Amino acid sequence: MIRAIFYKEWIKIRWYWLLALVASIGFSGFAMLRLARAVSLKGADHIWQVMIDRDAIFIDLLQYLPLFLGLGLAVVQFVPEMQRKSFKLTLHLPIKATTAVSVMLAYGAVMLLTTFIPAILIKFCYLQSVLAPELWQHILYTAAPWYMAGLAAYFFTAWVALEPTWGRRVLDGVIALLFIRIYFQPAKPEAYNDFMPLLTVVTLMLPLLSMLSLTRFRDGRQD
Amino acid sequence: MENVIECRNLTHYYGKRLIYKDLNFNVPRGRILGLLGKNGTGKTTTINILSGFLQPRSGECFILGEKIGQMNPETRRRIGLLIEGHVQYQFMNIEQIEKFYSAFYPNWKREAYYELMSRLQVAPHQRINRMSCGQRSQVALGLILAQDPEVLVLDDFSLGLDPGYRRLFVDYLREYAKSEDKTVFLTSHIIQDMERLVDDCIIMDYGRILVQMPVDKLLNDMHRYTATVADGFSLGEAEGLYNPSVVRNTLEVFSMRPQEEVRAVLAQQGLLEVAAEKVNLEDAFIGLTGKY
Amino acid sequence: MLRISKIFFWAIVAVLLAWQLPWLYNFFFAKSTKSPFTLYSSVIGDFAVIDFDEKDIIYTDLAGNIYTEDEFDTVLPTFYCRQLMADGRFPDTICGVKVNPHQVQVENFHARYSPSDINKPKIGLYALLESMSGRVDLQMPDDVFRITNEGIEFIDMESNTINEQKSQRFTEMMLRKGFKFPATTLSGNPTDRKEYDEGYVILDAEHKLFHLKMTKGRPYCRAIELPEGMTAKHLFITEFSSRRMLALISDTENGLWVVKRPTYEVVKTGVPSYNPETESIIIMGNMFDWTVGISDRESDRYYALDANDFSLLKSHTYDTPDSSIVGLTFTSYNDEFVRPRFE
Repeated sequence: MIRAIFYKEWIKIRWYWLLALVASIGFSGFAMLRLARAVSLKGADHIWQVMIDRDAIFIDLLQYLPLFLGLGLAVVQFVPEMQRKSFKLTLHLPIKATTAVSVMLAYGAVMLLTTFIPAILIKFCYLQSVLAPELWQHILYTAAPWYMAGLAAYFFTAWVALEPTWGRRVLDGVIALLFIRIYFQPAKPEAYNDFMPLLTVVTLMLPLLSMLSLTRFRDGRQD
Repeated sequence: MENVIECRNLTHYYGKRLIYKDLNFNVPRGRILGLLGKNGTGKTTTINILSGFLQPRSGECFILGEKIGQMNPETRRRIGLLIEGHVQYQFMNIEQIEKFYSAFYPNWKREAYYELMSRLQVAPHQRINRMSCGQRSQVALGLILAQDPEVLVLDDFSLGLDPGYRRLFVDYLREYAKSEDKTVFLTSHIIQDMERLVDDCIIMDYGRILVQMPVDKLLNDMHRYTATVADGFSLGEAEGLYNPSVVRNTLEVFSMRPQEEVRAVLAQQGLLEVAAEKVNLEDAFIGLTGKY
Repeated sequence: MLRISKIFFWAIVAVLLAWQLPWLYNFFFAKSTKSPFTLYSSVIGDFAVIDFDEKDIIYTDLAGNIYTEDEFDTVLPTFYCRQLMADGRFPDTICGVKVNPHQVQVENFHARYSPSDINKPKIGLYALLESMSGRVDLQMPDDVFRITNEGIEFIDMESNTINEQKSQRFTEMMLRKGFKFPATTLSGNPTDRKEYDEGYVILDAEHKLFHLKMTKGRPYCRAIELPEGMTAKHLFITEFSSRRMLALISDTENGLWVVKRPTYEVVKTGVPSYNPETESIIIMGNMFDWTVGISDRESDRYYALDANDFSLLKSHTYDTPDSSIVGLTFTSYNDEFVRPRFE
């Protein structure tokens, strides 16, 4: 039964997933190509120096990409469920409603990670060839909250999408927006390092919010 | 007889607006029960409560002996649900949706589904959101037939269907329900369809149930009485006489009381030449609930 | 599960309120007071102050004397050295000492450190310049070093490989001088836009202080004797043009010390308390005195030190009450980290 839910989710997200994968790999690849060009024009030592002295990390353009990928994935996965209340069909399946929603969220989150991981690997592969471990770790650690924000955006958007009433949806959206700001505080590279374990735990708890939407849907809340 | 659906003291409000109070009804096994009511009398509310998508303000409902809301997921396997507008997953095609649902139902009757699909003029890879409402209704019906549930809950199955599809749906469903001893609870806003389909009916007015009885008995008992009256005539109150109206000197009134009693009541008001006639379900419905 | 979800939801709401409401209040209503520009003058033996009185600039001192702008230049002759020179008013002697403008300008310095200079993510790679190239201009090296548990490693940037020979040479020298790896903290100023290079001051694993630099490609490492009972905590290399000192040190008791050059003598200053982790410091020095301004949330404290023995000449405290209310924040003026905290 759970595999059947995976199948349903896959049908919904497959084209988007492919697009997200291409975008994720494309943007990372582009950032690495740009860096490679800078290395060949100005020399690796210049790149090292501006990283050490001026907090450059060279992948700033990737900052909001995971956020948008996560948001988009939740939209293509959960908005079709809400169209004409098809979500009722899902809830009528002979499987616990919380299980069904958890499986959907887990599947989406894993698929989102499958678009992130190749991009991270591309960065790792190139960066470790020209940079000392301190420096490529510096870049990847700096990007960690961005990817976590992608996951959070996915869970938050799912929560908002599954909410049955517009009034509450707006309120939830505001809460989500404010919370997402926590992942994008103005900060130096690697500033999130100490906060990441806690932020990860909180992010992984965000699917709990969808259970509230689920309960409200089943209680028949309407505008 | 065993009740497959039982609702006790259902009370629901939307905000402060009372929909109904202390509603009680049962559906015995093997019966097809239609819920009739004008818009806003709570048909959809009742269906939503029965299908577990609305928590009533008070009261409780049981299907197959289990309380809705705390139902074991396994029990839902034995309940077929048709959502208003024949909604099915829009993003799937007829093959995908069959493959999807078959995983949830051990007794899945693939042939039943594909037999129905073979009559539709749709390509196997055509997505459901590209289908006409009639075609979608057949997909939804086919899925319910393949699921082979004991109880069917159908919300406004005639919505958006042209007469051909409606007839197809009704005939298929009745034949299926009767041959397999299924229990069906349904609503429709087209009452002619119900007459061919349902065994029992519940007719609702705002906030209450007017009648719950077998359709045969309703059609047998209910008569329309007409008489010619003078200008300015108004029928006095009388028990069991529903919705009197005068149009161009013709009085029309409905009643389920025995003919002799009704004639006697009307005679007391000076109406001696009264015609009585049998009615169909739609007329009976209008007779009970009024035109407005 | 629903119960946990509800608790979690309200926890999130509580976090957002604790964060946003105080922020909104502080944004619209909180006022912070700023202390006036204050600088010690050995000429008058008092702090000279530039204050504002409804847009008018007032030149004054703590005793309450009012000066004209021209008078004020002579109260702070080292600070307004260029103005006095331009006016042809530069004195021959200040406080009875014969001076010339060049001498004054070489001895003048200013330095500013804030808690976020210390409390911040560090990469752990540092450039070590050649201190004695024989050329006037400094040059950035083509390698950087890291300090590991075993030694110092130089990594060539172009090839991203460790220069084993150089690493070994430096490690051996440091070990020979008694350095215990790894380092606890270090301070340097790796830039080619400075007059001279003193490399790094480093605290080793046992909190012993060392000076490391590279002269003619060879390691120069020297242990710096710290006074008995003093445990150094934070280091600030100075490289001021006077070349009179190597570094400032704060200790675990919040004392502020100076490492003199070229004697490596470590002298305690008269600053009563300075905690680099929570307080920012600004030091304006000249050949006669230093003005040390230390700021925290509630006050700006000014200390005047004698430039020769660093003894305390005078001090003054401005209260700078902060009317902002405490709330949850993720960033702070005191560090460069993002993490939840109440302040």
